[in-house]
Amino acid sequence: MSVVTEVSPDGQKLTISIKGRFDFGRHQEFRESYERLNQKPESIVVDLKEATYLDSSALGMLLLLRDHAGGEDSDIRIVNSNSDVKKILAISNFDKLFDIYPKEDAGKDSAGEKDKPQAGHLQDKLHPGKA
Amino acid sequence: MSEIHLDRDVLSTLKEVMEDGYLELLDTFLNDSEARLRVLHEARDAEKLSATAHSFKGSSSNMGAIRLAELCGELEQRAKQPSLGGIEKLVSEIDSEFAHVRKLCREEREGFHC
Amino acid sequence: MLSDLEPLTVLIAEDSAADRLLLSTIVRRQGHHVLTAADGAEAVDIYIQQRPHLVLMDAMMPVMDGFEAAQKIKQLAGEQLVPIIFLTSLTESEALARCLEAGGDDFLAKPYNQVILAAKIKAMDRLRRLQATVVEQRDQISRHHDYLLNEQRVAKAVFDKIAHSGCLSAPNIRYLQSPYALFNGDLLLAAFNPAGDMHILLGDFTGHGLPAAVGAMPLAEVFYGMTAKGYGLAQILREMNAKLKRILPVDMFCCATLLCLSFQRCTVEVWNGGMPDGYLHDSLSGVRTPLPARHLPLGVLTPQLFDDRTEVHPMSLGDRVFLLSDGVIDTADDNEQLFGVERLQQVFSANREPDCLFEDIQQALRDFRGEPRDDFSMVEVRLVAPTQLNPPPPVYSDSGQSSPLDWSMSFEFRAQTLRRFNPMPYLLQLLLEVHGLRAQSGALYSVLSELYSNALEHGVLGLDSSIKRDASGFARYYSERNQRLDELNSGHVRVHVHVTPHGDGGRLVIEVEDSGKGFDVARVLARPADSNRLSGRGVSLVRQLSHQACWSDDGRSARVEFFWEALA
Repeated sequence: MSVVTEVSPDGQKLTISIKGRFDFGRHQEFRESYERLNQKPESIVVDLKEATYLDSSALGMLLLLRDHAGGEDSDIRIVNSNSDVKKILAISNFDKLFDIYPKEDAGKDSAGEKDKPQAGHLQDKLHPGKA
Repeated sequence: MSEIHLDRDVLSTLKEVMEDGYLELLDTFLNDSEARLRVLHEARDAEKLSATAHSFKGSSSNMGAIRLAELCGELEQRAKQPSLGGIEKLVSEIDSEFAHVRKLCREEREGFHC
Repeated sequence: MLSDLEPLTVLIAEDSAADRLLLSTIVRRQGHHVLTAADGAEAVDIYIQQRPHLVLMDAMMPVMDGFEAAQKIKQLAGEQLVPIIFLTSLTESEALARCLEAGGDDFLAKPYNQVILAAKIKAMDRLRRLQATVVEQRDQISRHHDYLLNEQRVAKAVFDKIAHSGCLSAPNIRYLQSPYALFNGDLLLAAFNPAGDMHILLGDFTGHGLPAAVGAMPLAEVFYGMTAKGYGLAQILREMNAKLKRILPVDMFCCATLLCLSFQRCTVEVWNGGMPDGYLHDSLSGVRTPLPARHLPLGVLTPQLFDDRTEVHPMSLGDRVFLLSDGVIDTADDNEQLFGVERLQQVFSANREPDCLFEDIQQALRDFRGEPRDDFSMVEVRLVAPTQLNPPPPVYSDSGQSSPLDWSMSFEFRAQTLRRFNPMPYLLQLLLEVHGLRAQSGALYSVLSELYSNALEHGVLGLDSSIKRDASGFARYYSERNQRLDELNSGHVRVHVHVTPHGDGGRLVIEVEDSGKGFDVARVLARPADSNRLSGRGVSLVRQLSHQACWSDDGRSARVEFFWEALA
């Protein structure tokens, strides 16, 4: 499996991890990872720690995910991207749409490391996960 | 070498398969075989001899004429040897074995009629 | 014992009459239709006439043996599988090998065994059907493939026309697109606006193939249509974004860099959404200034959130702008290492002959990977003197019989409007209804635009053109312009247009007034027209291109005249 899905026990947080190339070949798996859930999660984390490459159709898939999660009102974090992947996200200016963190836990205690400060709504979103 | 001239088990299977065509099969086999024997007697080259013996072997085996098939097989092999010694002896053995088989086939024919 | 399989037509080729009779009876009793042949030649004839499904073939037969007959039948059958089972009492492996070489699919030894024969016929029939299915599916795939290729060919022809109806052949443009770049979503468009400025778009749609190319059509339409009417980049971008957002599925978008090269002002205006860095190459210093992506691609954001802010850079004659698609930097080697920006920059620094930059990049890609990707695009545009270019005259479709010759009109554009709306294309369209003015539409548009932007920038926004003295001041000037425009809440620009008959032809007077502080007209007009100076170019341009240019009300009001002769 190159797309691994994990839902927090309370169902509020969905983590989607991509392994290997994140390209059109992952399309089906990626869509299923969030469409098959019964409960819509409050927040979504896309973990790219093991993603080696990301192409424009992967960017399209992220847009689909964002649309599914409510567009402007969605809370999607993209974490752990390697330097190649980070470059692609930077060129496409996707940091204007998604919260992009270098590390998964960076947003919890240090807003400084975050590429785009937006601490307020983040704190809110983190609470349900801790309950 | 087998002493079985005509295998009864084979014949009963053939009877079952052929039903009404059984007699025709027996006749066809006998006519075919007589024609082949003539060729064996007249054949002057080894290749012709070997090929005819081969075909004769095949049809004999289908009819359950086991010893005849074996003799034909032997002739087929012998015809491929450089020296053609012993060929005439084999052909006459085939002659007499076929005479046996023919007699048995005719009896079989009569029996089927009853 | 009729089997569950459909009855087949089985050809039995056997010279021994008894064996033939026996085998036909067995096969017929298994439910199949039987044809018989006593030798190979007869078998081939029957095959030709009746096309049986399967052949039981004796190896040794007179006239033509089974090996030769099998070969002929296999040849006649072509792609169809006609299984041939050799009937044989052959035992030597050499003879069995001959059966296989001749195209035999299986053997049946004498004496015959009905059960084995039935099983073999069944197995061979399965094989035969499998082959038929494979051939049918292959043919189907091949038909689909042909169909697809043809569709692509037609679509490519259409898109090639779209892409080449512009001015890509202008002498200052060089571009390289791999043959399938378009079908991988790359789009390259170029066109002159009415003032002779050049708009260039290099775009890259998400995804591949037809779906990607489909978006190219509306994009090109907006690009050519609005450029020809004199719209600026910001409006064109807003329109393209809105259109793509409306028609494309959520996961599709178009990365794009849009340029406006002004040969008169010696500037390049840039908007980059999601494309790799472009480069502005200073021909004197050799410095390459990156033109990075500052925006999301087109078709992602709603019109309300779309950001149309552009950057303006000064250029000198001979300077070049270089744009490329990600096909270049994303070319991967065998180990999935990407070519990347660093290697591209190494090519830049090693490049000695600017005209060979494309070749150098291609060579570097070949060295890196063995062969370059088939979906990359590169384009390079040089700033040349306006006289070196020959923008095609605009095409008018009306009959020319209803030209309005005696009229006036006044507009006042206030802060709210000035912030987002550029009235120039509308004014130009209106003026070009006067047929006598059409021959000078370029000069008319340039002068009109110049007067309007002077009134807006120096008048209403109070920007000092002397900031534009050097390149960094130039950037500061435009960022300041954007900021003040965003915050604008008072002021106005008025435009008065008078068209009157004059001799056999006519006369146009344009007056542009602004609410600003004015300027020292006498001092500005006294300065020599120096084409190398970045600031104050507007005034000399206006004086060159129009008659009777004059300023009044302390520079707050500008007036120009255009004349035309009787039309032939």
